[in-house]
Amino acid sequence: MDTLVAQYSCPAIEDTTLDAEQDELLHGPDALSLNFSLPPIAQPSSWLRAMTDDASNPNCPIKIAHGTTTLAFRFKGGIIVCTDSRATQGNWIASQTVKKVIEINNSLLGTMAGGAADCQYWLAYLGMQCRLHELRNKRRITVAAASKILANLVYSYKGMGLSMGTMCAGVTPQEGPALYYVDSDGTRMAGNMFCVGSGQTFAYGVLDAEYRYEMEDEEALELGRRSILAAMHRDAYSGGFINLYHVKEDGWVKHGFSDMNPIFWKTKLEKGEFSNVTADME
Amino acid sequence: MGSPFSMNGGACVAMVGKDCVGIACDLRLGMQALTVSNNFPKIFGINDSVYLGLTGLATDVATVSDLFRFKVNMYRLREERNISPDTFANLVSTSLYERRFGPYFVSPVVAGINQTSGKPFICGFDSIGCIDFAKDFIVSGTASDQLFGMCEGLYEPDLGPDELFETLSQALLSAVDRDALSGWGAHVYIIEKDKVTKRLLKGRQD
Amino acid sequence: MGGFDFSNHNRNVALHAKGMPLPKATSTGTTIVGCLFDGGVVIAADTRATSGPIVADKNCEKLHYIAPNIWCAGAGTAADTEFTTALMASNLELHSLSTGRKPRVVTCMTMLKQHLFRYQGHIGAYLVVAGCDPTGSHLFTVHAHGSTDKLPYVTMGSGSLAAMSVFETSWQGNMTRDEAVKLCSEAIMAGIFNDLGSGSNVDVCVITPEKATLLRNYITPNVREKKLRNYKFPKGTTAVLNEKVITKEDISKYVTVHELQDDEAMDVDS
Repeated sequence: MDTLVAQYSCPAIEDTTLDAEQDELLHGPDALSLNFSLPPIAQPSSWLRAMTDDASNPNCPIKIAHGTTTLAFRFKGGIIVCTDSRATQGNWIASQTVKKVIEINNSLLGTMAGGAADCQYWLAYLGMQCRLHELRNKRRITVAAASKILANLVYSYKGMGLSMGTMCAGVTPQEGPALYYVDSDGTRMAGNMFCVGSGQTFAYGVLDAEYRYEMEDEEALELGRRSILAAMHRDAYSGGFINLYHVKEDGWVKHGFSDMNPIFWKTKLEKGEFSNVTADME
Repeated sequence: MGSPFSMNGGACVAMVGKDCVGIACDLRLGMQALTVSNNFPKIFGINDSVYLGLTGLATDVATVSDLFRFKVNMYRLREERNISPDTFANLVSTSLYERRFGPYFVSPVVAGINQTSGKPFICGFDSIGCIDFAKDFIVSGTASDQLFGMCEGLYEPDLGPDELFETLSQALLSAVDRDALSGWGAHVYIIEKDKVTKRLLKGRQD
Repeated sequence: MGGFDFSNHNRNVALHAKGMPLPKATSTGTTIVGCLFDGGVVIAADTRATSGPIVADKNCEKLHYIAPNIWCAGAGTAADTEFTTALMASNLELHSLSTGRKPRVVTCMTMLKQHLFRYQGHIGAYLVVAGCDPTGSHLFTVHAHGSTDKLPYVTMGSGSLAAMSVFETSWQGNMTRDEAVKLCSEAIMAGIFNDLGSGSNVDVCVITPEKATLLRNYITPNVREKKLRNYKFPKGTTAVLNEKVITKEDISKYVTVHELQDDEAMDVDS
């Protein structure tokens, strides 16, 4: 019996796989991440900035989609993740239906702010790394480890023009509900509440006023929705649809991708909020 | 900071119909991304049958609208009659060209009905006073590219006042929904020979 | 009264120094031409006005009246061509009133070049001046910096190369009126179809010692096909939050008219 058990079971952490991972940690990320070809010029990073920074040069040839509001906060019942859905290139609204929450696996979520392509590519890459971790170790990656993979990755490209502000939210048996903020400067922070993007200040305004850790699930979902709504209303570069997720112990649950406009008018008429919007003419 | 024309945001459009004209604007006033006010109309009544739309830098919108209020009041006192839309268009043009080398950052639109001939009149200007006489529609503001597209698609000649209202409103609402810097509601004026209808539209609030 | 007002200039320079681009004026990225013929002169222009990549006006007028026997085609900054030619029209009218003679084309050309030279090219008007006066038929070009040319056939604007290629292949001396009109309109057509800054229709003006004839939209090779169906919206499509009707009766309520008696009539003389 013992031989059978030994034959068909593995220790939780196998030494050989640990070596492979340690090897990767020691010698930097694998070849995939460092295989980008750089433009054949002296200063690729400043060149890229000159080409893409439409704040300093409105006629820049490459317009990167920017402008977002994303938020996530921890509370008694788990984590709420909520985002808008607008993508802008300059003043042009390129899309109103962007999915800014990336489902890394069924218990881990990532959010996008900043360069849409950067976020999409690297969070997909993170998803791949998380799956590899799972296969190698026979258990889910922790949120701490996942966010660290991303932070180390973006740090290796520091100064080269990556633009992303992202949050990793998930629930694992080891950590419980965990929330990390990672951005392209290499910052990585654990915390209870983050808002990221051009509309972050508006979202913080509502969130700080109403947030309590002891909230019920319904209250927390409503607070996430209301905070994004405030940001969509006041920030020109946020808007579209409210994308709402609740991360619980047994994975995340999606609570809709709903147009903000009917929700706005409902909030206004039923609760008397947004009194700055009136039906008066003069 | 981008151009002065896109600091505050805003859009304006005018259309000619059958024995009527329409002019519409959005209501946003912003400072770059921040929406400061959602009740900043950009259409100013010059008299019962002439209306002026101004988009561009908000400080100049306020200055220029006051300047024309003054000039039109002086005209009324001197002439003892209301200014006609075509005369007013020339007044706008010369006033802007006077500042050829230090312009106001505005793109005006004039819409009205000539009370003597009963003819509808619209025109637009660049910031230094070049008049664009159009027979169909005039657009201006940060959503002007989108408005050009909407109007080329939706406009047709000889629309009645009610039809004109729907076409004009839908053109404006669709255009501003694709512009980050304009929207947040709209004012629409439908000008007929002996009646003006002003409507407040329900627009998206993002 | 009169002249330019520079009071916003310092503010705008300060704004420009902070990295704000200058406002883009409507420009007539244009093809304009002129050609002398036996007994007169023809000028012609396309009708597109542009603002950056956008066609601002599909049928604008680039042929400007200066005097009954002098007309002018304008390229460059639209507002500048409009107002410079209007100023010349006004000054030449006064000039001919005070001299009691018909204005001469050289006079107009000289006044234009002196005006434009004074502004060192900041007034962006590029003009083709043509007309007939007692000294004959004349055709000039005037550039924004003040230089001028006198030639039997001329082209200007962004489509000038396309137009000149037509002149260089087909022009000949001692043409008739009809030949000149045909040649000029073909030169404009070359601009309309080969230059992106030019487009829409051909305007022509024929000037003879007797009279000037403006042939507005002489050729319309770019007529938009009529829409076969429409996008009319049924009444009530648009959501309205508030509505106010201002009728003429409402307005007249606030106006009262009093007939004044003769004795209480205001005395304007004293």
